[in-house]
Amino acid sequence: MNCQDINNLMDGYLDGELDPVTSQKVEQHLRDCPKCEQAYEVEIAMAHAISQAAPYYKAPLELRERIQVSLRESIGATTSRGVSGESPLPVRRPEPVRRGVFFDMPWNWLALAAAIVLAAIVASSFLPRLRQPGADQFLATQLIASHVRSLMANHLTDVASSDQHTVKPWLDAKLDFAAPVVDLSNQGFPLIGGRLDYLDNHSVAALVYQRRKHFINLFIWPRTPGTSEAQKTVTREGYHLLHWVDADFNYWAVSDVSEADLQNFKQLFEGQTLHR
Amino acid sequence: MATALAAEYAFDTEYLESSAKIVKFVVLKKQKEQDATREHELASFEEAMLPHMDAAHNFAKWLLHNEQDAQDVVQEAYLRAFRSFAGFHGSNGRAWLLTIVRNTAYTLLKKNRSADLTTTFDEEIHLTGHESASPAMILERAEDAELMKNAIDQLPEEFREILILRHQVDLSYHDIGEILKIPAGTVMSRLARARAKLKEYLTTHISQDR
Repeated sequence: MNCQDINNLMDGYLDGELDPVTSQKVEQHLRDCPKCEQAYEVEIAMAHAISQAAPYYKAPLELRERIQVSLRESIGATTSRGVSGESPLPVRRPEPVRRGVFFDMPWNWLALAAAIVLAAIVASSFLPRLRQPGADQFLATQLIASHVRSLMANHLTDVASSDQHTVKPWLDAKLDFAAPVVDLSNQGFPLIGGRLDYLDNHSVAALVYQRRKHFINLFIWPRTPGTSEAQKTVTREGYHLLHWVDADFNYWAVSDVSEADLQNFKQLFEGQTLHR
Repeated sequence: MATALAAEYAFDTEYLESSAKIVKFVVLKKQKEQDATREHELASFEEAMLPHMDAAHNFAKWLLHNEQDAQDVVQEAYLRAFRSFAGFHGSNGRAWLLTIVRNTAYTLLKKNRSADLTTTFDEEIHLTGHESASPAMILERAEDAELMKNAIDQLPEEFREILILRHQVDLSYHDIGEILKIPAGTVMSRLARARAKLKEYLTTHISQDR
């Protein structure tokens, strides 16, 4: 090993990330070469300075308290939603009896039952809808950010291949779901590759397609029960976002191609996935 | 309605009262059970995640340079983490939380991006015509807290975050790669570039000080 090799391996050595054999070779060289030894000492000193001399900003006590309070509030707020969203039982259960309840009860029981039923109805229909637009806006922001980052950071794909049989297994191995991957080269949307991305707090598959000089990021993740079936389009900051779902997955396509191109892309993609 | 009510009211009041009680009982019981489940979820979330709050705050502060923003981001990240805690099955809770902190911080940074442009690293200024400091001089000054803080603060985000994750949070290449969504090989090369940049800054500043 020469000094250039050592220079290349120095970071891995410093971080204890080399395999034992290579690590030993580096160690040997450092013992024999004063110049590399000194360079290594500087690296050690800097690493030590970042961990010890540079400030470590501990969380202030009031933040700790604020967070615990807001977490507690969040379960207070979600319990009423939970009644309708997660378990249909309390909503459905009164129904067979309800006719009787409504017509035959003394007023105080009637009022109570009505209040319960009303609360359940409000919780089931009103709250999720209240939540929806904000959540969508937030997701749209994240999607655009991911799209822009993927183009900016020279990190468009983790696996660059136009072969769906290369991209799909790669993604399947990295994710806990099997996202559909199709190549649309013949239809004018060649597959460029795939990437792992992170959205809305879960890992998602990102497929990258090209349309002439433009790129389309297609984000895919499993559908959760209760997802709305409606197709959505969002236009923001010059980007078009198109959302649809199928039996298993959520899809969000993001690009600066025209909305018509995006619609066309969606139809082609759906056509191919339906045929399998 | 009143007549219908009166007619049927006579029919069996007691039976109906008790069935209403059952309805009420079932609803309240279910509600209680769900409250208990949520409480339980929160307790296990807090047990797993509250210990990482210092790491989360530290990371956010380095990313954002601003105490108020850092606190807001950490709070938002904790709420988001709690909402998706059920989906977390990994082994490293700290890395998972920091991923969310980072996403939240970048969302905020992107929003404020125009204001932030003035603080990017001005390479030209730092690299003009000064004699370099020797490694010995760097060794001598490396424990200078103020100098190190300024040096790290001046680095571009991608270098700053990776150095903090490696040396202050003490994460492996694998975990850093998960957070930054890059392969371990890229973690190593980015760390190398980050350290080179940091050394460059230290070198020029130390020689300017002389």
